[in-house]
Amino acid sequence: LGLLGGSVLLCAGSFGTASGQDIDKRVLEAQAERVAVIEKIKPTVVAIFANGGQGGGSGVLISKEGYALTNFHVVQGSGPVMQCGLPDGVLYDAVLVGLDRVGDVALIKLLPRKEDGQDFPHASLGDSDRVKAGDWSLALGNPFLLATDFTPTVTYGLVSGVHRYQYPESSKGLLEYTDCIQVDTSINPGNSGGPLFNMDGQLIGINGRISLEKRGRVNSGVGYAISINQIKNFMGQLRAGLDTDHATLGAFIENKADETQTGMVVTRILEDCDARRRGLDLNDELVSFAGRPVHNRNHYQNVLGLFPKGWRVPLVYRRDNDKHEILVRLMGLQRQEIEDGKPKPPPPPPTLKKTPIPDSPASKFYEAKSGFANFYFNKQERDHLWSGFRKHGDFSTAAGTWTIETELDRNQKKTPARIVIADEKGSDGKTVKGMAQLFLEGQLQYKVEPLKAGQEARDLKDPPSSGGLLMALYQYRRLLTMGDQGFEGQFSHGGLEPFYPMPADSPKPKSLADARLDTEVLHTEHAAVPAKWYFSPKDQALLGFEVWIDREEDPCEVYLFDYKSVNGQDLPHRIEVRYSNGLFGTFIVKNYQLAPAKEPMFGRSKE
Amino acid sequence: MKLPRRLALVITAASALFVLLSAARPQAPPSLAGVVDQVNRKMVKLFGSGGFRGLNSYGTGVVVSPDGYVLTVASPLLDTPDLRVHLWDGRRFQAKVVVTEPELDAALVKIDKVEDLPYFDIAQAAKAPLAQAGDWVLAFSNQFQIATREEPLSVQHGVIANYSKLHGRRGIFDAPYVGDVYVLDAMTNNPGAGGGAVTTRKGELIGFIGKELRNSLSDTWINYALPVQVVADFVDKAKRGEYKLLVREKPTGGPAGFHGIVLVPNVVERTPPFVEDTFPGSPAAKSGLRPDDLIVYVDGEKVVSIKEFRDIVDKARPGTVFRLEVRRGDKLTTVDLKLEPLPPGLSPKKE
Repeated sequence: LGLLGGSVLLCAGSFGTASGQDIDKRVLEAQAERVAVIEKIKPTVVAIFANGGQGGGSGVLISKEGYALTNFHVVQGSGPVMQCGLPDGVLYDAVLVGLDRVGDVALIKLLPRKEDGQDFPHASLGDSDRVKAGDWSLALGNPFLLATDFTPTVTYGLVSGVHRYQYPESSKGLLEYTDCIQVDTSINPGNSGGPLFNMDGQLIGINGRISLEKRGRVNSGVGYAISINQIKNFMGQLRAGLDTDHATLGAFIENKADETQTGMVVTRILEDCDARRRGLDLNDELVSFAGRPVHNRNHYQNVLGLFPKGWRVPLVYRRDNDKHEILVRLMGLQRQEIEDGKPKPPPPPPTLKKTPIPDSPASKFYEAKSGFANFYFNKQERDHLWSGFRKHGDFSTAAGTWTIETELDRNQKKTPARIVIADEKGSDGKTVKGMAQLFLEGQLQYKVEPLKAGQEARDLKDPPSSGGLLMALYQYRRLLTMGDQGFEGQFSHGGLEPFYPMPADSPKPKSLADARLDTEVLHTEHAAVPAKWYFSPKDQALLGFEVWIDREEDPCEVYLFDYKSVNGQDLPHRIEVRYSNGLFGTFIVKNYQLAPAKEPMFGRSKE
Repeated sequence: MKLPRRLALVITAASALFVLLSAARPQAPPSLAGVVDQVNRKMVKLFGSGGFRGLNSYGTGVVVSPDGYVLTVASPLLDTPDLRVHLWDGRRFQAKVVVTEPELDAALVKIDKVEDLPYFDIAQAAKAPLAQAGDWVLAFSNQFQIATREEPLSVQHGVIANYSKLHGRRGIFDAPYVGDVYVLDAMTNNPGAGGGAVTTRKGELIGFIGKELRNSLSDTWINYALPVQVVADFVDKAKRGEYKLLVREKPTGGPAGFHGIVLVPNVVERTPPFVEDTFPGSPAAKSGLRPDDLIVYVDGEKVVSIKEFRDIVDKARPGTVFRLEVRRGDKLTTVDLKLEPLPPGLSPKKE
């Protein structure tokens, strides 16, 4: 039986000359099955041509709207607009949407040819963590730019290894292949950006790299595909038009000095990184990271490469035989370099080719902005998020003083607490003074004036141990009443991130992974205070937010629960406040009084 | 059409083939994940000397006994007291070389304090008939040093394209082994692949991936493997400590030959054999040796000093051909040095 199976390839190869009578029926059926899979997936393969016809590569459609994945290094030479051929023989204009330079991924969007839009054929995404060495795979693409009629080349081969780590190709740390899939399927120049499928026709990776030495830039039997599960983590960021970044922990993790022992220990750690503030320190042994065991450097690099910067992921470490689980906020990779324990200013990232954008129908879908691959798509996602959120209530009329009567549950003590937030006119009658106050048992305890000049960070962090709750609530009211008009510094979509609200009945879930929710993120900045807002992707309900008084320190974390409708506006009735490693307290809301503005405070350009 | 989830993921290698091939439903070819995992457990990653272009510090080996004998290729990688072996489960060991056989380009190394390792029974494998052109094979190696510790080796698939005489060369020299080899259509000729295994699709060992060689007829890199039958005797005798090296005859006796290499002054006990100059028209000049070349190996023997170099070369007769590997810049280059009779007027100089 083994030999019978072993002749599958050969029979397929000599099919033309064989009469067919000595070929086992099952072999023919297996071949027919493979051909059927290829027929199914072929229409999703994109041949990418750089503008001006110089170079190009491959891509694959992943949604009916025309979103397609490819490599960063394919679009790098082509600029923000390009042309793409599909196997239907039609050439489409396309525009860059999002970039992941470190992971070598780019998201582009093909423009429908028909006025009323069209549904593009698209690949279904598989689960690359289920791929094993020894599985079969299909690579489709445009090697050597052969696809002049846009029909992809198909190659077929074995998965040679999974969870592979390949070092960055540039000194700046770009084009790092983490947790990638290694194949002996032929991958050649021009295959870059094209799809790797499993034999069920599901997309499991994006082909982008080959090992080379003595043969030159051609297939050496060793090709690599970026795993689709890694790309899924970045998909929200890519769709939001971000020029996204990978992450670092801020610590060096190395094998134990004793060669006979397995295990990775922290050998260096940045003084002010989040991991250290959460408790990780020198000589701690890393047990698992984001749920994966970490036994060697490649494992560690693989896990780090899976997540965009800013994500919070669980990390388990061992110290003196005790295991600790912490939630670590990942630092940006390109923004900081670890040397002498001090962050350094980042090197300027290599930019896309600076050629004047050619006159293409795709140009009107492109808007340049620093930090973004294409700000046009950020605005699209942001406006979609915002309009979804507005369905929970229109607060623009409630621009007067907000008074919230609550009971504060803090340190096992319950205290009546009133929160007052307002914008007041200054004594000159023109300048605006923001303020937020906390009354405990009827007495004014804390007051923060976010806009007053000459204050230090600690003036803005009241009440103590909250990380800046009054500032956070001031920003919250501002977001609800003013929307994008309230944030002069930033108001942009931040892609997708995990969010970890703790269960109400216990201080900590059994595992942090159980608490995880996936959320859409909005980044804002007002009065030089950045904030991050977490929304449910389902109905755009606001689940919580974080406000940084000091960018180098921990934010004030606010978690919103028990939404109830108050005069047609959905408002949270349990507000949990966390800072650093602890819970500040929980406010149980008794009553909201959201007064309308006495007179218009700000000109609203909208509507 | 969505295929039902295959059984291959949950059942072991041997039975997976049976179940899937006898299934009535048409299927895509079965995954070989089970076989790949089993073979990987019988293989090791080797790390030793080297580390510059043309001379890798990593390689592959096949476990041939439960108590830690490992078959690999004879290469400069092994010339170190710090030879390390990583097992499939992540354990790491110091290894020592038992025997190297330059004529087969094979070596046997040993790690201690292990027992019950998964291994290939080479003697048993050698009893099987030779594989044939057209047979379907898997190739396992740590090419490009992709894996360390418990990370699995790379697996490739291919077909035996031919069973034929090896016409290989490394640098400008013919490969020492001139017997029959399996020629593969899989790209096995990659850095670090030497010492890897070639198996059937059931995971039975049939061959042993050889050193990186070019085909001396076509000048292309050749993907080949030595049949297990060729190395079985070496492994068996070397394990028992009874192996006698195959000896290549070298002309001896009579006046010493002339090479024309002028080395740097031999000022300390271990002066490295750097070439200072060559006599015009001498064998050294003809061989392409250049000033500043560092002679690293003579016929596969490592030479670390001028004295060691002279011990080997100065007694050889005219007509003797030495294979020198020299380091030029950051590259290793192989040159052919054919000794000639001493020209009249020159007398052998002794220090």
